[in-house]
Amino acid sequence: MRIWSLVCCLVLVLTVSVAHAADKDTLVVSVPSDIHTLDPGVSSDNYDWRQIYPCYDRLVKYKVENGKGSTEVEPMAAESWTVSPDGLVWTFKIKKGIAFDDGTPLDAEAVRYSLDRTLAIGKGPADNIGAIASMKVVDPQTLEVTLKNPYGPFLQTLATDGASIVNPKTAAKAVGDDKAQAWLAENVDGSGPFKVTEWTRGQRCVLEAKPNYWGGAPTIKKVIIRFMPESADRRMALEKGDVDIAENILIDQLPALEKNPDIVVHRFPAQMTEYVYVNCQNKKLADPRVRQALSYAVDYKGIIDQVLQGNGMQMRGPIPQGMWGHREDVFQYSQDAAKAKELLKAAGAENLELTLIYSERRATWEQIAQVMQANLADIGVKLKLELMSNPTLRDKIDKGDFELCLGAWSPDFADPYMFMNFWFDSKNAGLPGNRSFYKNDKVDELVRKAAGLSDVAERKKLYSEAQDIIMQDAPYIFLYQIQTIVPMRKDVKGYVFNPMLESMYNFETISKN
Amino acid sequence: MPPRTLHPALRELALTVRILSRNPSAVMGGTIIAAMVFLALFAPLLAPYDPVRLSLPDRLLPPGGGHFFGTDELGRDIFTRVLYGARISLSIGLLVISVAGGIGALIGATSGYFGGKIDSVVMRVMDVILSFPSLVLALALAAALGPSLVNAIFATAFVMIPKFARMVRGEALAVREMPFVAASRVAGAGHGFIIRRHILPNCLNSAIVLATLTLGDAILIAASLSFIGLGAQPPTPEWGAMIASGRKFLMDQWWYATFPGLFILATVIGFNIFGDALRDVLDPRIRR
Repeated sequence: MRIWSLVCCLVLVLTVSVAHAADKDTLVVSVPSDIHTLDPGVSSDNYDWRQIYPCYDRLVKYKVENGKGSTEVEPMAAESWTVSPDGLVWTFKIKKGIAFDDGTPLDAEAVRYSLDRTLAIGKGPADNIGAIASMKVVDPQTLEVTLKNPYGPFLQTLATDGASIVNPKTAAKAVGDDKAQAWLAENVDGSGPFKVTEWTRGQRCVLEAKPNYWGGAPTIKKVIIRFMPESADRRMALEKGDVDIAENILIDQLPALEKNPDIVVHRFPAQMTEYVYVNCQNKKLADPRVRQALSYAVDYKGIIDQVLQGNGMQMRGPIPQGMWGHREDVFQYSQDAAKAKELLKAAGAENLELTLIYSERRATWEQIAQVMQANLADIGVKLKLELMSNPTLRDKIDKGDFELCLGAWSPDFADPYMFMNFWFDSKNAGLPGNRSFYKNDKVDELVRKAAGLSDVAERKKLYSEAQDIIMQDAPYIFLYQIQTIVPMRKDVKGYVFNPMLESMYNFETISKN
Repeated sequence: MPPRTLHPALRELALTVRILSRNPSAVMGGTIIAAMVFLALFAPLLAPYDPVRLSLPDRLLPPGGGHFFGTDELGRDIFTRVLYGARISLSIGLLVISVAGGIGALIGATSGYFGGKIDSVVMRVMDVILSFPSLVLALALAAALGPSLVNAIFATAFVMIPKFARMVRGEALAVREMPFVAASRVAGAGHGFIIRRHILPNCLNSAIVLATLTLGDAILIAASLSFIGLGAQPPTPEWGAMIASGRKFLMDQWWYATFPGLFILATVIGFNIFGDALRDVLDPRIRR
C-alpha cells in the first residue's frame, strides 16, 4: 500500500512538471530590466522595442535568409514601391485588407499619420526616418514620400521600430499637444501579430497573439516577458524550465549552462557595442585632455579577456567591425596610466572625483564599473559607483544629469549613420543618441554632410575625417564590441537573430515543441 | 593586600570577570568576540593581499593555494576582504551602539527623571519608532538619505535609540525614588547633576548588557543595508556587500558568499551569547 501511494505521488509530481514544460502556447522570456515606454514614436531602446515591434506592422521588414536575419528588406504592409530616377520620390502601394483591431483600415493615411507623428515628436526614432521631407496621400492605397536628398538606407529605416504604423484613431487620445504620447506610452494600437495585454511595473509584460493576424496566426499564443534583475535568477529559471529564453546571463555561468542537455546557448556575431558616455557639458569633463585621460586609464584587455572571457573585442573607432566605414587604422586608446596622469596634470584636474552610473541592464556592468573604479584610482581619480533601475538611468541620460554612464548601442539599419550621426551630431543630444552631449562644429558639419550624400566613397571620406577628430576629443570611452549570446531551452524553435534587431524576437514565427 | 586597595569599581569588574569565566556560554561568546577583534585589529598584518587591489587574471579561484577563501569576480582575495570586513563591521557596531546608547540613555534618563507630561510625550515618540520593524525603518531612512556607509550607520543608530531610551527610563523611574536622590536634592543639587551623578551611573549595568545584545543586531542591520546596496559602496570590503555580489555567483562559486556569511553569523552569535551571559551575571538577583 505504502509503495502504491509513493508511486501515485511520483506520477502526480511528474505529470505536474511535464504539464508545466509542455505548455507549448506560452513563451516566457526573462530579461534583466523593466521597460520604459511602449510608444514607437518615442522609444530609442531595444528593450522597449522587444515589446513594441511585434505589436505593429511597418511598410517593410528585414528579410530572413536560411534562418538568418538579413540587413536587406522585403515588403510588409507595402505591396510594392517605385522610386523616381533622382532617388527623391518614393511611391508606396499599400496592401489591401490590413486593419487595426477596431477595424480601421491600415491605409496610406495611417502610414502618413504614423511617420508624421514620429517626426513631429522629434525624439530618437525621428532621426531614424529623418530623410523624409514630405508625404502625400495620393489615394487610400498609395503614399508618395519625398526625401530631403537621395538616401541609400532609406528603405531600411522604414523597417525600424520608429516607422511602426499606429492606428490614426489614436489621435483622439491626445491630451493637449502630446500626440497621444501619454496613452501610447502605456498602450499599443497596431495591426501587428501581437498586442500588449498587461504591463506590471518591475514584474512582467504580457503579449497576446492575434489569431486573425493578416500574415497568419502566430504559433505561440502568449508571450510573457519577465523582468528579473539577477543573472543567477534568470539562469536558474531557465534551467528549471520556468522560462524558455534567458537574456544576458553572466559569461562566467555559460559553461555550466552549456552542459545542460535541455539548453542551447546561441552565439551570434553582432554589432553590439558597449561604451561609456562622458558628459562633455559637465564642467569637470569639458576639457578634452581630461576625457583622453579617462580613455587612457581603462584596462581594456583585462575587461575583455577576463570579465568577458574573450567574448568581445576592443572597439577601434566608433563604427564597429562589420559595418562599412569601420577603419582599422583609426587611433585606439590603450591603458597607459602614466600618460593619463600627465594629461590630468596638464589640464589642472588632479584630485578629480567622478560618479559613474549604470543599471542592471547588462549582467557584466557591475564588474566593469568596479574595474573602472580601480583603473581610475590608479590615475588618481576617485570614482563613485551608482547602480539604478534602467528607466531611472534613461531619464538621467536624457536630461544630461550624470558624469559618466555605461551604455550599450546596436544599429537598427546597416549604415554608419547609426553611429556617426546618432552619437556625434549635437542635435541628437540626450537619449536619441548623442549621450555624451558632445558638440564640435566641425564634426557636426562633416556628419551632416555625409548624411546628405548617397555616394558611399564620399561619405566614407567624411566619416573618416570625423573619426580622427572624435578620437582626439574622446567624448566616449569606447570599450568593446561583443557577441550576442542568447541561451534558450532546446524546445524553442525558429528563433532568428538579426544584428539590426538586437534583443528583439520574431515571436510570430517562434514555436515550441 | 592588593585586592583590598582596589577601587570598588575595579573590584566589581574583577568579580564580574571571575563569574563570567565560569560561565561556558560567556567564555564561548567572549572568545569569538576576542578573535574577531584580534582579526580586525591586525588585518593589515594578517591579510596576505590588498583588499581593493584588482587582479583580473585570478578571478573566481576556488579556496586553496594562496587564497584560503578563494577570490572574487575581480580577482581580490576573499580572506583578505573578510578580515578587513571585520574592521568595518565591528566599527559600525561600536559606532551605532555608542551613538544610539548615548542618545537613548540621555533621552531615557531625562524622561524618567522628570516624569509627567515630558515622559508621556517622549515615550510615545519612542513607541512610534519602536512600532516599526527596525530593519524596515532603517531601510527607509537609509534610502531617503542616499546610499553611503555613514548614512547606513546613522539609520541603524536611529532605530536603536528607543531600545536604550525605554530601558534607561525604566531604571530612572526606580532610581529617582531612592533616598540618596532625595538627599541630593535636599542638599541643593540641580537636575542636571542628579541625572549625571545618580541616575545614569545606576543604569550602567543594564545599558552594558543591552549594548552587547544589540551590537549583534546593529551589525546585522548594517550588513543588510549594504546587502541591498544602501550601505557600504564598492570597493569597500563590507560583509553584507560581499554577500550581495557573491550571491550572483552562488551556484558555481559557492565560496564567494559563504565566507563573509559565516563571519557575520559567528560575530552576531558571539555577541548574542556573550550578551545573554552578561545579563545573567550582572543581574543582582542572580549575583551572589
